[in-house]
Amino acid sequence: MSHQPCAIVGVGQTHHKSRRWDVSLGGLVREAAQRALDDAEMTWKDIDAVVVGKAPDLFEGVMKPELYLSDALGATGKPMFRVHTAGSVGGTTGIVAAHHVETGRHKRVLAVGYQKQSEGNAQFALGSGKGASIGAGGAFAPYMRSYIDRSGAPLDVGPMVALKDRLNAFKNPYAHLKIADISLEKVKASPMMWDPVRFLESCPSSDGACAVVFTDEEGGKAAAAAGRQPAWILGSAVRSEPASFPGRDPVAPVGAADCAADIFAQAGITRPLEQIDCAELYVPFSWYEPMWLEAHHIAAPGEGWKMVESGATALDGSFPVNMSGGVLSSNPIGASGLLRFAEAANQVRGMAGEHQVDGAKVAIAQAYGASAQYFAMWAVSSSLDPFGS
Amino acid sequence: MTALADQRLIGIRSGDRVIVPPREWDPDTGEELAVDLVDVGPAGTVQTWCWVAKPTSQHPLDVPFAWALVLLDGADTAIMHAVDAGSEAAMSTGMRVAPRWKQERHGHITDLDAFIPGETPETNDGPKLDEPVTMMDYNATITYKTPVPTNLVRYEQATGEGRLLGLKCPGCGRLYTAGKGFCPIDSVELTTEHEVDLPETGVITNYTIITPTPYPGQTETEPFSRVHVLLDGVDIVLGYQGMVDTPNDQVHVGVRVAAVWASPAERNENDPMSNFVGWIPTGEPDDTTPGLVNRLN
Amino acid sequence: MPKTTGHDNDIAIIGWSISPMVRNIEYTEARMLLDVVTGAVNDAGITRDDVDFTCAGSCDYVAGQAFSFVQNIDAVGAWPPKRDSHVEMDGAWALYEAWMRLQIGDIDVAVAMGSGRSSTSDPELLYSMEMDPYYLAPLGADAISFAALQARSLIEAGKVTERQMAEIAARTRKAGKDSPYSQVTGDFDPDELLKTDYVRNPLRKHDLPPITDGACAVVIATAARARELCENPIWITGFAHYTEAHYVGMRDLRTSNSTTLAAKAAGIADGPIEVAEIQSAFTHEEPLLVEALGLGADTLINPSGGPLSANPVMATGLVRISEAASQIRDNGKHRTLGHSTSGPCLQQNLVCILEGDKA
Repeated sequence: MSHQPCAIVGVGQTHHKSRRWDVSLGGLVREAAQRALDDAEMTWKDIDAVVVGKAPDLFEGVMKPELYLSDALGATGKPMFRVHTAGSVGGTTGIVAAHHVETGRHKRVLAVGYQKQSEGNAQFALGSGKGASIGAGGAFAPYMRSYIDRSGAPLDVGPMVALKDRLNAFKNPYAHLKIADISLEKVKASPMMWDPVRFLESCPSSDGACAVVFTDEEGGKAAAAAGRQPAWILGSAVRSEPASFPGRDPVAPVGAADCAADIFAQAGITRPLEQIDCAELYVPFSWYEPMWLEAHHIAAPGEGWKMVESGATALDGSFPVNMSGGVLSSNPIGASGLLRFAEAANQVRGMAGEHQVDGAKVAIAQAYGASAQYFAMWAVSSSLDPFGS
Repeated sequence: MTALADQRLIGIRSGDRVIVPPREWDPDTGEELAVDLVDVGPAGTVQTWCWVAKPTSQHPLDVPFAWALVLLDGADTAIMHAVDAGSEAAMSTGMRVAPRWKQERHGHITDLDAFIPGETPETNDGPKLDEPVTMMDYNATITYKTPVPTNLVRYEQATGEGRLLGLKCPGCGRLYTAGKGFCPIDSVELTTEHEVDLPETGVITNYTIITPTPYPGQTETEPFSRVHVLLDGVDIVLGYQGMVDTPNDQVHVGVRVAAVWASPAERNENDPMSNFVGWIPTGEPDDTTPGLVNRLN
Repeated sequence: MPKTTGHDNDIAIIGWSISPMVRNIEYTEARMLLDVVTGAVNDAGITRDDVDFTCAGSCDYVAGQAFSFVQNIDAVGAWPPKRDSHVEMDGAWALYEAWMRLQIGDIDVAVAMGSGRSSTSDPELLYSMEMDPYYLAPLGADAISFAALQARSLIEAGKVTERQMAEIAARTRKAGKDSPYSQVTGDFDPDELLKTDYVRNPLRKHDLPPITDGACAVVIATAARARELCENPIWITGFAHYTEAHYVGMRDLRTSNSTTLAAKAAGIADGPIEVAEIQSAFTHEEPLLVEALGLGADTLINPSGGPLSANPVMATGLVRISEAASQIRDNGKHRTLGHSTSGPCLQQNLVCILEGDKA
């Protein structure tokens, strides 16, 4: 590959809540971006270009809001780029920002993803204003039923994922949902919203933003020399496929498998469960954790749920997943993908705080969108050459 | 915004400049601005303007008016607002204008009704706000007129006639419901010549029961089912279909179903799609084909 | 010294397609894209299977539906699954992303698209949704009004006259007569145009762009692949975009700093520009942009008719780049420029410089 190395040297996010009425749209993105700059020990004038990602503008009622946000993002006199690839957008935003550096065009790039869902009504926007909207839960529920059937997973696995992510959220100061006295019983006793998915197995609707500062090899090495561990991007990829055609399998989409194979090849990963220390996967509904472990060829078919059941995906397990509490705990859609990518980076930077996986050197992150048809992934590491090739 | 409700115009200091309307960040450098607010105006000078002979439904005035960038006294950047000058001839760059305030004020940019020619503000001592402004609402209505694609028209016609219409790709032979428009595999357009009638019976491969949540326009109050139906003898699954007169506990994988059409009395010529009501169990024994549940498309 | 072209790391345009430009298309945005993607890959002598990356530019608010672009993927051809992205920006920025993506070095061919159906809503009402939601959108401040404020600033600064604006309208719409991709064309007498009523004084109807439905697709390839596929690759030798403050009262409307920055970063000064296709949707924007780009009197502006002849929002900028490419391939020019813009009073600007192999 001819491209140049790219390092993540700053990460910031907001406290995610159902309503951040204390801040404007600008204030929300600003809060995350300022934290990322502080983390990178940079100021606004150090940034060469800004990449903004978010899901539908109809959610807040401002068309192409990056135009109005240009001063909040310090973008005046700089290139500003706007990505929208449905739920995967946060991931795509991170990847596009990385390309700005990998092509050698820019040295320091700020990526920001956000959603302020309290500014509008997502159910309204998703259903184009019509009644009997099935919502994302209704759309994905049949996929999860299919997964349960084909994998032979016991019905407790979904609630177990929910419990794990909700417990992880207690260790993440930025997480939106922190449910007191959470227990398996409590998850199972919660209302069945989109059979087979219960209320406490589903993601919230959040206001929130995430920001990441990318830099070139020189910048990454300078941060490392100053004692601030960078996260190096080992590989990144996106894939899209049509929403529906006879025989398409949304439980194990080809796009997901291709996307994972692409980053594994770039990163030199041949034995994912051994070589990857932890993963942040886009799991808006509990069953997506085992389903995605299998679809992305991290676990063999039918083995994903066993990892959940054995505790392997818990914070202290052999392959922790969604250490941050994941999308189940905070879901500002446009930021959700970038949050996954940022959390993976923070793990290998050793900066994940209470939800740090000890000694994490290689982490992956994934995001998906629309009818499980848009995929974005990356692999990051504390080293440019973690496997000593 | 709270200042607007008090009939005051304010700016924010950024270095030597006073920025109006106040921003949270310097528009040029992006640096955060300390909250150092200063009163500006109330009068100011028109820097540039244009005349709106026919206001739109969203404009603040319903009589012809001018938009202007007004450099308020003491400010270094201009505010954009309406000028109610009466006539185009009364407008000029460099003219002096002052604010006219609304009686009912909510801490909204429209509390400033408009600027008017001259130096003297027109205040209006309406009720004071009890609390500082922290929120503002605004609603906009945009009407879209989207012509219905031919495929959808044909689909609607067929539905009105009580037929399930499909489209067969001339390349790969895959079947789609009418209205699809394209074979996404071959990227070819599907048109009238590719139409085929679809069977009206099939089997439920997958389903969900949805507990409705309230939102503007929601019509449901009780849990309702949505099913995937694999049609008999063809390779096509209709997703997220509604059931008719079927309790949720009778919805499961393998149930044989048939299409239900509106009775002649129920038919609505203006809404042909409503002619297709949903699916109802046929009462035949369940289809127990293994892996049926995986037919999602 | 003209810059030498076609280095190993350069990216070239090898094909494109522009849809008919009409006031109100009777079919879907996906269908428009189907046609232009087919047209563009055919033009490049490849098939959809040869395309490694696709990037589309479109806008939910123009389409009137959240996630509107998702339906378009059926027309693009993403099976087997494709590397793919989407920008809520003009297709010119989709091309920018595709251009960056090919520089990563692992893939060779990309298609960028832009599409929009402005006909489905009232642009006068729609574009106020693009404005600051606290200070501008609640006023219903619309795009034509913003343009009119900028026009008066330019007129009073002595940078353009209403007469010159009418002449620009007449010139571009006359030029558009020869283009298969124009919508509003004809022979107009500037004196007659000046007798018509104002829409927003100082703008008259002829100063405004038409409402257009349309789409465009462009195929690009890495240097080695471009040379394999194409006799005359059109090299992208400079590509840059910049933004400035949103609130127009905080800008000097008599200049376009972001255009100047983009032109400089794209290396505009490295040689003469023979033709510039610029996204001057309003007549007065032409002299402003020409000055901001630093172009001289010897540069031909918008020989296609430009956005005043056809303005397919979200594709207008990509059409400019296609037209600039066409000047090299079909009209023997050597160095041309495509420009795109977004936001009130030209808030954000993009410059793409193209060069042919032949001197």
